[in-house]
Amino acid sequence: MITSDTRHTTGTLVIKSVVALIAALLLFAPFLFQDVRSLEVAARICIFIVLVASFDLLIGYTGIVSFAHTMFFGFGAYGAAILLKQMGPGWTPVLLGALAGVAVSLVFAVAIGLLSLRVKAIFFAMITLAAASVVLVLASQLSQITGGEDGIIYKSPDLFKTATKLLTDADGKVVRLWDVKLNGKLAAYYFVFITSLILFLAMLRFVGSPFGTVLKAIRENEARAEAIGYRVVAYRTAVFCLSATIASLAGTVYAVWLKYTGPDTALSFSIMIDILLMVVIGGMGTMWGAVIGAVLLILAQYYLRDLMGAASEALTGVPLLPELLAPDRWLFWLGIIFILLVYFFPRGIAGTMMTGRKGA
Amino acid sequence: MTSPSLVTEDLTIRFGGHVAVNSVSCAFHPGELTVIVGPNGAGKTTFFNLISGQLTATSGRVLKDGTEITGLSPSARAHHGVGRAFQLTNLFPQLTVLENIRLAVQARSGHGWRMFRPVSGFRELTRKAEHYLEATRLSTVAHQAAATLPHGDQRKLEVALLMAMEPDVYMFDEPTAGMSLDHAPDVLDLIAQIKADTSKTVLLVEHKMEVVRALADRIIVLHNGELLADGDPTEIMSSRIVRDVYLGTAQGTGGEDAA
Repeated sequence: MITSDTRHTTGTLVIKSVVALIAALLLFAPFLFQDVRSLEVAARICIFIVLVASFDLLIGYTGIVSFAHTMFFGFGAYGAAILLKQMGPGWTPVLLGALAGVAVSLVFAVAIGLLSLRVKAIFFAMITLAAASVVLVLASQLSQITGGEDGIIYKSPDLFKTATKLLTDADGKVVRLWDVKLNGKLAAYYFVFITSLILFLAMLRFVGSPFGTVLKAIRENEARAEAIGYRVVAYRTAVFCLSATIASLAGTVYAVWLKYTGPDTALSFSIMIDILLMVVIGGMGTMWGAVIGAVLLILAQYYLRDLMGAASEALTGVPLLPELLAPDRWLFWLGIIFILLVYFFPRGIAGTMMTGRKGA
Repeated sequence: MTSPSLVTEDLTIRFGGHVAVNSVSCAFHPGELTVIVGPNGAGKTTFFNLISGQLTATSGRVLKDGTEITGLSPSARAHHGVGRAFQLTNLFPQLTVLENIRLAVQARSGHGWRMFRPVSGFRELTRKAEHYLEATRLSTVAHQAAATLPHGDQRKLEVALLMAMEPDVYMFDEPTAGMSLDHAPDVLDLIAQIKADTSKTVLLVEHKMEVVRALADRIIVLHNGELLADGDPTEIMSSRIVRDVYLGTAQGTGGEDAA
């Protein structure tokens, strides 16, 4: 929004600087954090930023509550996974998988959208929940195609093999840049980073466009949006399709990165809950919120345990504290952090900081 | 006289056994400001809802410039040039005043589906929105969220949204409701300006008699959903039947009018 927000520039500036810092860290992640797990976390953050941002198009911008977002993510992931398994590694299965995932997602999104976007929000949410449950059950039952509960293991395109040398020196050894091997793993990470960046920038574009303003109008006052001449059902269906398409593409990228797709990585409701938490923590109705929410939750999931382990050890000898901070209690502390975040940032971190303390 | 821009033919809506609007036939012409009066529950707002599409008639027809719009959605009717302001303030509360108005301008321009260019790139939208900001004297609060405006300014914004739609038929539902006497003239001036454009048809629901006297070219009286009287203001105001049903009741609920 170019025209507004002369009011709370400091908060906005802080959030934007944090996002810029996150972008820089993700851009240089392979060079800054040179272990396998960190790169895994960085890639997951990239994908989830896109996934959460696309979910925010629905819940934060338009006010549509859907529980089917992982379903679309799963369509994209399984599309690529099944074809990579059947056709062997290569770019054709990735592209076809992406297209198939998007096509199936669009069919579902249009069907759900037209059938149920006219009804009350709660019924719509229930219908998306039902559809997602059915797809989850189907994915685990149709084990010949989907690998069932075990999922599918496959190879990604040759470019992304760890053994692939992007640049070789005179001896035929892989070139190192700042001590990092320029190999296929690096290429795979940048594939994830760049596709995520493109999808995220596209969404930034959408929300700042006239289309984006209509979405906000629908969220704010559906009846008035209709009265001034916007076909609300058409816009809601369109944004549902758009959001599904982006989630599906994110799924394909994740499948290529992981070289494994199963219900736990691409379809389960625990992912849906993660997305919801990320969007709530980061702040609804702002793309920056998706970035902050995804980063915080994923870092907490991966590192809170380690951090607590270290803290617990450092405090040995002190009564009670090491017990409280035992790594096994990490979920307990995660819960407490969430409650505090929601209490102090009722509109999410980005949402609260950028709009100031409204109604406080 | 010119051909009517808006016509209702036997317009009726039933809610179960209750007939809220009963067979109302009426024609509204460009250059004419019609005030719709009647006691509370007479069906004035329901009649508006049937014309602007928030409700669909049980029977009867609504025609805009001869085209039937009876079954259309509110958005489709807006594109046919039927615009409506609401009795209860009905804005986009968290968006700024400028954004509110620009949305209405944009709806009319048909740019709502443009996804790739930033809003700021559509200068003509902003320029038009600013024009209506000035016309309604809301420029100073352009960047405030609509929800933070005082009531009087919210009513003005309500009118600004309708003006920005640039309809042929303007429908105002108690535009000065809840406004103090100092602020009401602002809104009434705006309505008078619209009325001055002879290509526009204006429908106005209003209780305040001084407003009715000042603006009305014609008055229609609704009572229990039926069209009780239709005619020249002086004629209607002096008619006994109208005094009995309307003015009598209005005195009984005078507290609301004074609010």
